Amino acid sequence: MITVKDLHKSFGDNEVLKGIDAKVDEQEVVCVIGPSGSGKSTFLRCLNLLEDITAGEVTIDGDVITDPKVNINEIRSQVGMVFQHFNLFPHKTVIENITLGPVKVKKISEEEAKEAALPLLDKVGLGDKADAYPDSLSGGQKQRVAIARSLAMEPKVMLFDEPTSALDPELVGDVLQVMKDLAEEGMTMVVVTHEMGFAKEVGDRVLFMDEGIVMEEGDPNQIFDDPQNPRTQEFLSKIL
Amino acid sequence: MIEYLMDSAYYKSIPYLYEGMKLTLYITIVGLFLGFILGAFAGLGRLSKYSIIRAISTVYVEVTRGTPILAQVLFIYYGLTVVNIGELTSAIIAITINAGAYIAEIVRGAVHSIDRGQHEAGRSVGLTEKQTMRYIIWPQAFKRMIPPLGNQFIISLKDTSLFSVIAVAEVLYMGKQYYNATFEIFETLIMVCVFYLIITIPTSIILRRVERKLDV
Ligand SMILES: Nc1ncnc2c1ncn2[C@@H]1O[C@H](COP(=O)(O)OP(=O)(O)OP(=O)(O)O)[C@@H](O)[C@H]1O
Ligand SMILES: [Mg+2]
Repeated sequence: MITVKDLHKSFGDNEVLKGIDAKVDEQEVVCVIGPSGSGKSTFLRCLNLLEDITAGEVTIDGDVITDPKVNINEIRSQVGMVFQHFNLFPHKTVIENITLGPVKVKKISEEEAKEAALPLLDKVGLGDKADAYPDSLSGGQKQRVAIARSLAMEPKVMLFDEPTSALDPELVGDVLQVMKDLAEEGMTMVVVTHEMGFAKEVGDRVLFMDEGIVMEEGDPNQIFDDPQNPRTQEFLSKIL
Repeated sequence: MIEYLMDSAYYKSIPYLYEGMKLTLYITIVGLFLGFILGAFAGLGRLSKYSIIRAISTVYVEVTRGTPILAQVLFIYYGLTVVNIGELTSAIIAITINAGAYIAEIVRGAVHSIDRGQHEAGRSVGLTEKQTMRYIIWPQAFKRMIPPLGNQFIISLKDTSLFSVIAVAEVLYMGKQYYNATFEIFETLIMVCVFYLIITIPTSIILRRVERKLDV
């Protein structure tokens, strides 16, 4: 589903991604872990071209998205992204947050978009919040709306950038549950997270990133219980 | 007492000043409306990814803010005499250009203050740059522009008094005409100020309410 070949990304002189190779198969859930500043967010953002890529090639579902001729907006609409700080649109109600993309990008009618959005809201457990404004929701509810907003575009891939790290601990579970359900339905997912329980239970593979490269990758149980690379060992000893 | 008031500039100047105030408001409102359009372009221009557009916008804003509005209006009035646009048009152009520069900064600041994440969220659901601006950034930024725009209204309203130098019959000019005839300078000027305050104080109060309501 996703193939990344020798991906480089620099901000000015600062090379943040130093040649990433990765593959994500269809229906696979890949978790990305690594220390702060190692380039995890930048990596995800490159996958939906929120950053322009300095060098390398990224293919998503057969489309070479790094090709300059590619329609960026179309690519983005096929790749859902969930942010650490939700980034809901505060001036729009929950349902409007969800329908904006389908109405403006897919050009379907408001009615149709609403009809499609309501089951999504139910799915994330917020069927009764359609007309609420984001400010009235808890962090966990906001994040679930954000997930529904992404799903409304019927993406082929979902990217999650530390979706639970801005949440109070008691709100994390609901969000992880929604993500788990998604994974079980066969969504292809790339998840930056330090939730080891989630990575072990739901993840098919874990990538450990450090200093702009993938230092180690493997089965979640192997990475967490028996890391081979000393950097991975050091990192895990700190977060556990 | 009442008789004295009724017989002095405190009362008798009112019809003249009222006429002047109508013109003052007309210049301010038309000028600010056009200034907002100009300012929106210049403000967004300063955030453009094209350096030439940024440069043009910046030069406009800095030159305008760095020179007195009185010089600007004289420049427009006398400098453009070839086309003879008249004093009223000159006044409106002066307010447009002058307020436009300040509004550009208001627009730029408001747009800039919207969290980058909003832009990214818009783009990541597939909206184009323009759609993101129109449906996500601008509505939120516009709310934040309202209080400073109200402020600019008050500033521009007072700035119109400078146009008495080119004989625009705004409220101060009308006041001068009145006291030149009656020599009641003090009384007339008091009334001129009262006319300004009748507009500016309620505007301030409304603004503060709006500000609280918008929670910006
Ligand atoms: N827009 C930007 N401009 C300049 N430098 C940036 C930009 N975005 C990220 N960086 C730099 O790139 C490096 C990697 O950042 P990134 O956000 O990808 O790390 P991360 O692994 O997601 O860290 P964290 O766990 O703290 O979220 C950092 O050193 C950061 O300062
Ligand atoms: Mg990050």
